[in-house]
Amino acid sequence: MEFGYMNKWLKINLTLGEFKDFSISEDILRKFIGGKGIAIHLLWKYITKLEEKGINVMEFDALSPENMLIFATGPVTGTRSPNSGRHHVMAMKSPLTGSIGSGNSGGRWGAKLKFAGYDGIVVIGKAENPVYISIIDGIVEIHDATKLWGMNSIETSTELRKKHDKKRAGVSCIGPAGENLIPMAVIMNEEHRAAGRTGLGAVMGSKNLKAIIVEGERKPIIAQQDKFDIKVKEHVEKLKENGVTGTGLPTYGTAVLVNIINQNGMLPTNNWQTVVNPEAEKISGETLTEEYLINKHPCWGCVVACGRKSKVDKGNYKTTYTEGPEYESIWALGGSTSMNNMGAVIRANHYCDILGMDPISIGSTIAAAMELNEKGMIPEEDLQGIDLRFGNADAVVELTWMAAFRQGFGFWIGEGSRKMCQHYGAPDLSMEVKGLEMPAYDPRGAKGIGLNYATGNRGGCHVTGYTIAAEILGDVDRFTTDGKAELTKIFQDFTSLVNSSVNCLFLTFALGLDEYAEMIGPITGWEVDSDELLTTGERITNLERMIINKMGITGKDDTLPKRLLEEQMPEGPSAGQTVDLATMKEEYYKLRGWVDGIPSEEKVIELGLK
Amino acid sequence: MKIFVKVFATLRKKYPEVNDLNPLELDIDKDTTLAQLISKLGFEQEEVRIILVNGHKASLDDIIKEEMSIISLFPAVGGG
Repeated sequence: MEFGYMNKWLKINLTLGEFKDFSISEDILRKFIGGKGIAIHLLWKYITKLEEKGINVMEFDALSPENMLIFATGPVTGTRSPNSGRHHVMAMKSPLTGSIGSGNSGGRWGAKLKFAGYDGIVVIGKAENPVYISIIDGIVEIHDATKLWGMNSIETSTELRKKHDKKRAGVSCIGPAGENLIPMAVIMNEEHRAAGRTGLGAVMGSKNLKAIIVEGERKPIIAQQDKFDIKVKEHVEKLKENGVTGTGLPTYGTAVLVNIINQNGMLPTNNWQTVVNPEAEKISGETLTEEYLINKHPCWGCVVACGRKSKVDKGNYKTTYTEGPEYESIWALGGSTSMNNMGAVIRANHYCDILGMDPISIGSTIAAAMELNEKGMIPEEDLQGIDLRFGNADAVVELTWMAAFRQGFGFWIGEGSRKMCQHYGAPDLSMEVKGLEMPAYDPRGAKGIGLNYATGNRGGCHVTGYTIAAEILGDVDRFTTDGKAELTKIFQDFTSLVNSSVNCLFLTFALGLDEYAEMIGPITGWEVDSDELLTTGERITNLERMIINKMGITGKDDTLPKRLLEEQMPEGPSAGQTVDLATMKEEYYKLRGWVDGIPSEEKVIELGLK
Repeated sequence: MKIFVKVFATLRKKYPEVNDLNPLELDIDKDTTLAQLISKLGFEQEEVRIILVNGHKASLDDIIKEEMSIISLFPAVGGG
């Protein structure tokens, strides 16, 4: 494939210390685009191969050398099309959920991988001792990383850039949490960006792979440069003019959502026991901007700049420089635990960044522990003096640190809410779907996001199908279940396309499928339209579903915690609401052509997945 | 009729002291619409993109019916 791609993928076997290039045919690229789509295609092929060898992937250990870890870019990545520095990471198996591993990251690493000469990297095996990989101007090398082992993400990135004398190189790495195989460890890049969910950092750690540094001068060739330049200009103008991408996100970051979600009575509080936080203002985007913000920090090629550089000037949580926090981190660490202390949120989020952990899973698991403690279900000796009351900022900050090292009660925090709540005999207090802790919107107040949480392939996730854009930020009735199946399906399929392109999901506040056709068409030279691209998204969603079916996930797993299905919202604007999931799910399966959460034979054939 | 108004994000440039914990208390005439309220507060209609009355989405033509209503005003916001 001549245009848009670098035409080269790298496969590394760390057990053997060997690597080789391979390429992907144009018909496969057109069917799966890149990024998440191509990664899923490669995982499917790998699973088929394992099954032929008689290996049961359902019982497969996520931390075994045979797990496959994939870093992937797409045709849009690294071009002048806005917000295209990103990349997607996938693992055949997540140590947190036991199903597929998946995460999308900002930063510049994706663009830099292409400049180094590769569209993606497939890693299998396990190195005998810690190693890191460098890909610089097309040259691949595996190096000893013994001296890097134990370093945090900032130290690792700084050290590698210095060692290779590449000041602007992209560095993806794990922190101590990944080394310690904590199931919610992330892969960090550019110090404060993360492929953040489903424990990808532990998979990398299990391979003894500390980091991948990428840099180069190569550029993807654009098929129709003049047309592309015109469209880039138009898209940038649309992003600048749009209220969300032109003003809201640049001014306040994603944290601007704290107040609006709370005003709607949807901000989960006290581990989702209620949804009205009377002190949410203290952890809002407005407060962050007024009292803690240093400056904005855009990703590579970004015209939105939602990233925050922040600091805490005084008090116990003094922090001279960090980045974030994002809306989700603020909610999980500060809202769900009801601590409402922005300084402590920033400190705990900083720990997540440097140690390499997912703040959504960490915060949610701490909140679940607080409810277990409130109900007297954790023996005092297990807590070793930690005061686990809701609202205790010190406990949140301390446990975040301890989780990365499996210290004391931090062990259970690092294991995630599902395992912890099972251990203490109260599985219903675990607020997750398919083992992945849910993010910051109570679906009793917006039914579509509930259906999306329930059916999302990687688990309880908002960025699988962000129906909040329509239900809370747009004009769709948030309480009705009518039409939510179709809404969810479209959002999910469009998102699969975005994560395969690969660029930033936030573009979709201003740009639709037509604009994606205007990017991908001129870049690749393909005559694509919005219908083809939405079908491509659907194909990717379905193949990912076929993979999780192999992991044993079916309709029974497309569900929500009991609390959301049965306990009425106790107060606020969404009082009295529950999620009528069954009705929406039935309609959704019908629209998808799925039977009990499994794509039908007809659907598989229709999408060319047979 | 007494109501409370909360403004958020960029709308606070005009009312820097008003927030969730410190709403603006206003006396309005019966049958005041949200469009009239927004204009009374000195905002252009295009600036205010999301209006909640007691946490429920409302539109510019809606009349503020209840005494002590909380009106939350937002510009275009989003995130994730």
